[in-house]
Amino acid sequence: MDVNFRKIDIDQYDEDALLDSELYEADPRDPAQALNEVKQKAAAVRSSLSKGDVVGALTLVLEDAPYGPNVEEAKNLNLQTLVSILNSTKATEIPGVVKALSTDAQDTLMKYLYKGMALPGWGDVSGSVLLGWHEKLTEIAGTGCIVRAMTDRRIV
Amino acid sequence: MSNVLRPYLAAVRSTLTAALTLEDFSSQVVERHNKPEVEVGASKEVLLNPLIISRNENERVLIEPSINSIRLSIKIKQADEIERILCHKFTRFMMQRAENFVVLRRKPVKVGIQPSPGVLRFIDPRVAQGYDISFLITNNHTDTMLKHKIVDFIIQFMEEVDKEISEMKLSLNARARVVAESYLTAFNV
Amino acid sequence: MILLEPHNHIIQTTLAEKASQPSALDVQFVDFDGVRFRLTTPDRKVPTALVLSMSIRCWDELVRYGVNDILKREYGAALRAEPEFGYNVTLDVNLEQIPPEGDERDAYIKSLALLKRNALAAPFELGFQTQKQLEAAGSGQGELMALHYRDEEVIYVQASSDRVTVIFSTMFREETDRVFGKVFLQEFVDARRLPTIQSAPQVLYTTREPPLEIRHLQGLNDSEDVGYVTFVLFPRHFAKADVANSTITHIQLFRDYLHYHIKCSKAYMHSRMRYRVSEFQKVLNRAKTEAAVVDRKTVS
Repeated sequence: MDVNFRKIDIDQYDEDALLDSELYEADPRDPAQALNEVKQKAAAVRSSLSKGDVVGALTLVLEDAPYGPNVEEAKNLNLQTLVSILNSTKATEIPGVVKALSTDAQDTLMKYLYKGMALPGWGDVSGSVLLGWHEKLTEIAGTGCIVRAMTDRRIV
Repeated sequence: MSNVLRPYLAAVRSTLTAALTLEDFSSQVVERHNKPEVEVGASKEVLLNPLIISRNENERVLIEPSINSIRLSIKIKQADEIERILCHKFTRFMMQRAENFVVLRRKPVKVGIQPSPGVLRFIDPRVAQGYDISFLITNNHTDTMLKHKIVDFIIQFMEEVDKEISEMKLSLNARARVVAESYLTAFNV
Repeated sequence: MILLEPHNHIIQTTLAEKASQPSALDVQFVDFDGVRFRLTTPDRKVPTALVLSMSIRCWDELVRYGVNDILKREYGAALRAEPEFGYNVTLDVNLEQIPPEGDERDAYIKSLALLKRNALAAPFELGFQTQKQLEAAGSGQGELMALHYRDEEVIYVQASSDRVTVIFSTMFREETDRVFGKVFLQEFVDARRLPTIQSAPQVLYTTREPPLEIRHLQGLNDSEDVGYVTFVLFPRHFAKADVANSTITHIQLFRDYLHYHIKCSKAYMHSRMRYRVSEFQKVLNRAKTEAAVVDRKTVS
């Protein structure tokens, strides 16, 4: 007996089935464009950092961060850029920097902190740095910020 | 609490507090069923991004939130063979008594939720497994228990389990030393 | 109690009791290493004539190493030429002829309670003698004496011109035992560095790899679970007769001593975990809100 019919994906004929694309608006940029933007930002961040402008550098990285599937490369590069900023900031400066960020930027920062902690390989990511930032960010932005990182489907 | 451990536990505490916003939710798939969505994993719209808090490669916490339940898995520090054995014994001992600990799962989570990339935060399989003990907190628990006290319990567990394991290791070594010395001293002539 | 007692407690207490109040009995009991004892009064009407029998796993090997001579020396005429069926050694104990109450009687009873110890002493005594002969000859090595005293565990004794080497092979059935055993054995090796026990025998241990002396033997178990402990006894440990006796008593019990303390550690861990888990339980119980107690009343 032909059993191939069992392998048909019946969900595609179900009108009520929820599709991934319906959960959030996709990033309008295509992967190559996103990667290019991130690369440009990385360069701009380096120049900001050399001037000691941490807030400016962070705002730059967190603004229009790439999200969604298919842009893994751009997302990872952006994380590396962000981590380089976090690593070079003194612990005492963190509260001031966090306060100066917009709420959206704070939320995106929280997403990146969790992403950083979930990395399997570590490398130049240090747990204590991320935990330090996490603590300060939670103090200033509240648990609401964590909830938004949990619920937002636009994964950085 | 030691100063090195504090930021780690603080992060777990705030994340857990944020995640513990649960409500009653009946299954959308099966009529008249009401089950922890994080365990069923059948409707992706009620699952939230799983989060990982880690201190280093050997100590981390995985929190998987959903609309009516959260799962929290802990990887406990195990520096050597003795600590590994002691940790295994301790967690096993506790999990065998899971019905007393209503929020405790009988088995640790093998592999966390593996979403299709792009829908939920994608957790690398290498960090989504290897946990020693898991808790499952449902809306029933938050209804009948005080939320901040549940959080306190988890935090205190994490704090004490490390301490307990290192104390057990010390006492084992101390005993071994006394035993060896008294045996060999008896040969003294 | 840190050190184990070499004598059998049941023999000691039973005989002491029967010596003052003889009555018929038939008891069977066991000791370490699967040794079985039977203490009976064959004729119920003569409660003073007791028979003590022992069955030991490695009897054939012990005979080869001269156990009969040792037992004859220790127990003399009490030793029966033909042991009771199912046992290896049988002693006749006549309660009418034992020494009067006091130290002498205690010593006599104690010597009976040491039956297992005396039987197992055979290869050690032979080893010590061989060492003296080899020392006089200047060089050479004695026979490697194996004693399969448990199903999977063996004691090896070998004399050479300047020392006697005793090797224990021991099984760790569980992973926990294996790990704990390693910790304990490491301490045995380290403890010798202490100045107070410099004169103790040298201790070496290996897991899995058999030591050089027995590596040529066939059928050695080389799984992860097996451990080898080597004691190197120097002439100072057995030059004088009383020292030699205490060394033998002591070293025989090594395996039981080690495993006894591993079990004790596990029991201690267990009681600790029980306590800690009950503490956790209390913390969690604090989270529970008091359920309103509804006083149900029927219409009365």
